[in-house]
Amino acid sequence: MAATSDVCDILELRGEESKTITKARIISEGQKKKPKAKQNAFKRPEGMHRELYALLYHDNMDKPPLLPTDTSLTYQTAKAKLGGCTVVRPWKWMPFTNPARTDGAIFYHWRREEDEGKDYTFAKFDKKVKIPVYSEQEYHQYLSSDDWNQDETDHLFDLCRRFDLRWHVIFDRYDHARFPRDKKRMLEDLKERYYGTCNSLGKAHKQLSEKYDEIVYDADHERRRRQQLVRLFARTEEQVEEEAMLIQELKRIEARKRERERKSQDLQKLIALDTGKDGLRRAERKSNKKKFPGSGSKKDGHGVDEKVSETTYGIKFSDCKSAGVMLRSQMMKLPTSVGQKKAKSLELLLNELKIDQHPMPTEEVAQLFNRLRSDMVYLYDLKMAYANYEMELQTLRYKWDALAPGHLPPVKDAIPLRGLSDSLNINKHTSKTDGENTSKVDSAADQVIDVGCPSPPAVKS
Amino acid sequence: MNSGVESGSRMKGVSIVKPIVYGNSARFFGKKREEDGHTHSWTVYLKPYHNEDISVYVKKIQFKLHESYANPIRVVTKPPYEVTETGWGEFEVVIKVFFHDPNDRPLTIYHPLKLFQTENNIILGTKNVISESYDEMIFQDPTVMMHSLLTTNRQLTLGAHKHETDFEEQEKSTIKQLNSAKQRIQTEIKELKERLNSSRENIKSFRDEIKKLEKEHEKMDIT
Repeated sequence: MAATSDVCDILELRGEESKTITKARIISEGQKKKPKAKQNAFKRPEGMHRELYALLYHDNMDKPPLLPTDTSLTYQTAKAKLGGCTVVRPWKWMPFTNPARTDGAIFYHWRREEDEGKDYTFAKFDKKVKIPVYSEQEYHQYLSSDDWNQDETDHLFDLCRRFDLRWHVIFDRYDHARFPRDKKRMLEDLKERYYGTCNSLGKAHKQLSEKYDEIVYDADHERRRRQQLVRLFARTEEQVEEEAMLIQELKRIEARKRERERKSQDLQKLIALDTGKDGLRRAERKSNKKKFPGSGSKKDGHGVDEKVSETTYGIKFSDCKSAGVMLRSQMMKLPTSVGQKKAKSLELLLNELKIDQHPMPTEEVAQLFNRLRSDMVYLYDLKMAYANYEMELQTLRYKWDALAPGHLPPVKDAIPLRGLSDSLNINKHTSKTDGENTSKVDSAADQVIDVGCPSPPAVKS
Repeated sequence: MNSGVESGSRMKGVSIVKPIVYGNSARFFGKKREEDGHTHSWTVYLKPYHNEDISVYVKKIQFKLHESYANPIRVVTKPPYEVTETGWGEFEVVIKVFFHDPNDRPLTIYHPLKLFQTENNIILGTKNVISESYDEMIFQDPTVMMHSLLTTNRQLTLGAHKHETDFEEQEKSTIKQLNSAKQRIQTEIKELKERLNSSRENIKSFRDEIKKLEKEHEKMDIT
């Protein structure tokens, strides 16, 4: 196709009408030559599936090409043929005036011949902000103000006109010397006056029927905003640091508070489980030993309870009921759900009880061992809960001290099984109960120490 | 393989336990051998706890030695399942038990080879060091084929089948230990629970007191 047009061009076979090139012509060239879609020779018979029909007949009945071809119509045909067939539109050196200029200066530039006499192209970018005008009479009628006299208002409007409402420039050029005041006019004052004036003029000029859209400018708000920004900007480095520190501190405190709340909730659950369930649990175990599974509806209920407590507190060992071969010793592996901290404390505790970490894996041993470790973890949880209570008591004690300094907290001596850290605290306040308390500490320490997990602080006094 | 489908299906709920003993014995030469610096001769082994021929269901046992040995992977297909070597150092032997049933994945057992006497390991007062462990292979839901193999009993030897360690005694003492430990933990749990309860009440009353006090303070502030 390209070749034929080239030949045509060379032989100048084309008429005069296509001598000048236009955008429309370049674009439409490809489309014109597109052959019209052939009418289908075979119409789809009624009831024939579309897919089947598509297999038999389609637009392009040729077999699909085996090799990539580029004979079909592509962008290549739409390529603009710029050279050869056209005459370049002429350009001319001509004068022009810029309507934005007031001096009427005349300059020259190159322009297409056909554009001669048209307006200067860039004149459309010469936009002017419409600044309202007022007469002296209007000023007195609508615009008089205690704070502003006419001179100053005139000056402001003059500046607005000159700098197209570029407020910072206006503020900068404002003649503060000509209008001296106790308090220098701020940018917000200028804006307030300008917009206020515009609004009153707009209202005055409008027809009765039409609506005037007021310009909203909240000067007080803007002043406050500036004030805040100035303050923010004027902070010293130390102040910035202090603020960051305080924010961090606050976050920490909140996190700690959340943590404490969460823990105390867990605690509630733990307590709910451990009160009164102990006996049942034992009974259940006994019944298991006697091998009377499900011997009564009562016991069934307890069994469920026990299971709940076991799964929540203690270790859930895999029951290893999946088909295949395995070693008994694998059944005694700690599941990964047990945290490292707990695993470590288990290890310590086992050492203390002089039990092998990997005892001989017979069925009975495996069961006992797993049961034991489950209990140990339960104990560990209780221990943590206890430590938590201790902490809470501690905070309460501080509160008490703040409220009633010098007085003994009311609950102190009522509890025989005193925690460890409390006893220390009592010593601080009173010396008379000293002996009593230390003995308590000792006994309590005995009970607590042989559990190898974090216990309430301050075991030694 | 007519019964292929049949024998491949698993028997649900059946569980067969086969106890085994694995470990090593070691003997000190008395001196360092000149040519290679080896000091001990040792044998690592895996054998059934009871007198039975495990080759009925065990296809082979593979002992993986330290890489410094020539052919570190030693495969034994018949009893006795053991590897005898000489050496100078201890390392972890990886024992892999393969079964006749291809459905059963091989078992892996780790045994730290022991050459040197430690105080709690003096046995029989001889120079021999024995370090062996007991374990149980559990066949959960075995295939029909495996089940039949597992239940055919063939004695390994006509003579007495003995182990160096008295595992029965060991089990007894372990159970005793565990039970006493359990007792201890249980009592501790009980005590701690009691203490927790009292502690909770303590906190509650303390809180109430503080609240009262705060109210009083407020009143005082107002007046």
